[in-house]
This record gives sequence, structure tokens and C-alpha cells, in this order.
Amino acid sequence: MKMEEMRLSGPDNTKLEALMQDIYSELVEDACLGLCFEVHRAVKQGYFFLDETDQESMKEFEIVDQPGVDIFGQVFNQWKNKECECPNCRRLIAASRFAPHLEKCLGMGRNSSRIASRRLASNNNMSKSESDQEDNDDVNDNDWSYGAEKKAKKRKSDKNQNSPRRSKSLKHKNGELGSSIASESYKYNYNTGISYESLGPDEVRSLLTTQCGVISEHTKKMCTRSQRCPQHTDEQRRTVRVFLLGPSAPALPDAELESSSFDIPDGPSLMSRLQWEDSSDISPADSASSKASANHSDSRRPKKKKRPALGLSSAGGSGGLAEGGGGMGGSQSNLSLMTKKKKPKISAAFISSIYDDMN
Amino acid sequence: MSKDYQLRAAINQKLIEMGERERLKELLRAKLVECGWKDQLKAHCKDVIREKGLDHVTVEDLVTDVTPKGRALVPDSVKKELLQRIRAFLVQHAAL
Repeated sequence: MKMEEMRLSGPDNTKLEALMQDIYSELVEDACLGLCFEVHRAVKQGYFFLDETDQESMKEFEIVDQPGVDIFGQVFNQWKNKECECPNCRRLIAASRFAPHLEKCLGMGRNSSRIASRRLASNNNMSKSESDQEDNDDVNDNDWSYGAEKKAKKRKSDKNQNSPRRSKSLKHKNGELGSSIASESYKYNYNTGISYESLGPDEVRSLLTTQCGVISEHTKKMCTRSQRCPQHTDEQRRTVRVFLLGPSAPALPDAELESSSFDIPDGPSLMSRLQWEDSSDISPADSASSKASANHSDSRRPKKKKRPALGLSSAGGSGGLAEGGGGMGGSQSNLSLMTKKKKPKISAAFISSIYDDMN
Repeated sequence: MSKDYQLRAAINQKLIEMGERERLKELLRAKLVECGWKDQLKAHCKDVIREKGLDHVTVEDLVTDVTPKGRALVPDSVKKELLQRIRAFLVQHAAL
């Protein structure tokens, strides 16, 4: 503390102390006086004893100070372990889960209609339905029926279907949604894959436009992950398409809305093409990307036949984009070029460049 | 001694001018409420009033009754802290 000062001011120490004490007692007296005035005013104005009622009520509402009980005398967590019987489905539900269960059970509440319509949609589309279809209510009660837990993962991906956010999330999670839309037809396959032998050509085609589709060596099933699934390369995807749909395979749908894979599939040929095409001092800007892909568009085009016009241009553009980005040295430029903001500009540029090429 | 008196007056003036006195007062009030001193004293006041009769209570009664008790009831921690602050101020601003 201030011991040094005390030692320094030896003879003044007592004076200092006395002064301190005086000031302190003055302050305390001020506080007491303040309280007295307050109380006196309350007495004279008549509100001093207002918080006191008769003795009986006072005893009743006294503050409780027992262990295990709050100050009102209520036991904490009293209803946590209790179970209630649902009047609708006659099941015993835990108290804390009762209200959400009732919402689903009675068909009221915010999410219940959404879930119900989603369920209806998936039930209609299912060609091979699962054998153990539980009760309607059970399916919705994720925390009660163990069967629902199995499908919980698929349910999560299906959740986006009816919600208004679907179109938005389509951009961000293209792969997940794509696979969920396809996999709803093959409900039980969400974590394995699809057996291509059981599908017709149309189904295969639709599947391949949205999913990776690479056939696994061990299980002979098609990969249900997104087009950009990191386990398989674009080469593999192309091979699978050629294999399944014949040599006139549709264009590899690298990207419907997003740009293609970040990993550049053919390294050396890519590099050689780049060196021939672009100089390395082009900054990663729109002009650079449009230049790069304009040069590449006709080399890419023959491979892509079966795409809609916009898809073609955007695929070609983003294919070229990937290469252009790769050549410009570094994943950073890749990433900067791959930003979604550049997409509309790029596709516009490509459409015009493709027209030029055709002419 | 008048010198002493002058010194005190000067210090008090400085306390007030710098706003330190207000700050100390507020600090003390807050601490006393926190530690329950105010409620204790209020309960004591209730007893006094009941004793004297609601209509005949005067300020002087209350003051003479309450102040010594109040002074005694201040907890040590609050007292120490306040003394510390006062000493700090004095050392800093009073030429002793």
C-alpha cells in the first residue's frame, strides 16, 4: 500500500491518520443522515410500512432458505423426470419433450405441416420403399423412434426441399441438394451408393447430371456425392459417363451453377495449353478470365453436347476458368476467380465469345 | 490550532473541488447497500418508529438513535477501502 509514504512522513503520520479518520467519519455520517431523512419522509408520507401486511401473510411468503429448494420453496427440476401420456397417440413422453411432440402429433405448430408435406412427397416418389415404415407420428419424432434416427441424416438433407431457402442454398450446397433430390428416389442408399444395373437410361442420365456417379470398385455402386466430390476425379466421372451412356456421352456436367472442380484434372496438358495461350502477367481479373476461357471454349466444346445453352457456356467458361486460374500461379488466384460474383459476368462473356467462334 | 484548521479547510475544499468527495460518497453509499448495512439500519429504524409511535417521530429522534448504530455497523472491508482511497488522495494532493 502506501507504507513508504507513511514512513517518509514520520511526524505527519498521525496528522495524516487523524485527517483520514475525520474525513471518513464525515462521509459515514453523511450516509446515515441520508438514510434518516429518507426514512422520516417515508414515515410522514405514509409509505414506510407499506411492504408489511398482516402477520399471517408475512409468514406465508417468507424467504425460504432450505437446501435443495429455491427461495420460494419450489423444488428445482421437479418435472424433469416425469413422463406424460400424450392424449393423441397415447405414448409416454418426457415432460421436457412433451410440447414439441404435441405439436407434431396434433399437426399444429410451425414445422408440422412442412414435415408432413415433405413426407408425403418422399412417400410418393419412393419406388422401393423401406419395409419397416413406422407410424406417421413416429417418423417425425426424431428423438423417440430409433428408426427415425437411421433416416435422420437423409431427413436433414430433405429438410431443405420445401423451405423457401431452397433456391438460395442450391448455390452453396449444390452437391448436397443434388444428391438429396436424386437420392430421395433411392432412399436407402444415402450412405452407400446406387447400383447402376437397376436403373434405366433416363434415370442414369438424370443421376449423372447431379451426382458424381463414379462406380466404386468394391461395391459396384455409383457414388452419390456431388459433382465435386473429392474422392473421385473428373476423369473418373467422364469414364463412368462414357461407360454408362455410350461414347456419345453427355457433357460432363462440371457445374450447373457453380464453377468446376478446384483440382485441375490433367496437369501437364493443361500447363502446356496455358503457356501457349496466356502470358503469366495477366492479373486475376475478369478480363483475364474471359480471355483465357474464350481461347479454350472451342477446344472444350466438342466434349459438351448435351447441355442447355447457358449450361454449355458456363461449363465451358468455368472449365476454361479453372485452367486459366491454374496457370496464373497459385490456388489463391484460383479461389479469387472462382468467386460466385464473377459467374454471371463470365457466362455473358462466353456467350458472346462462342457466337464469335461459331461465326 | 488554526494552522491545523486551515489545513483541514484547504483539504476539504480540494476534495470538493476535484469532485473526489462526491465520488467517495457515492462509493460508500453503494458499498453500504451492497453489504446490507442499509437494510439492517432500516429495520432498526422500524423498531424505533414502532416504539415512538408513527405520528410522533422526528428527524432528531431518528438521527440520535440511528447514527451511532450506523457508524458501528459499517463492515471492516468497506471501512478499509474507504480509508485507502482517502489516504491516496491526501498523499497525492495534500502537501504534508
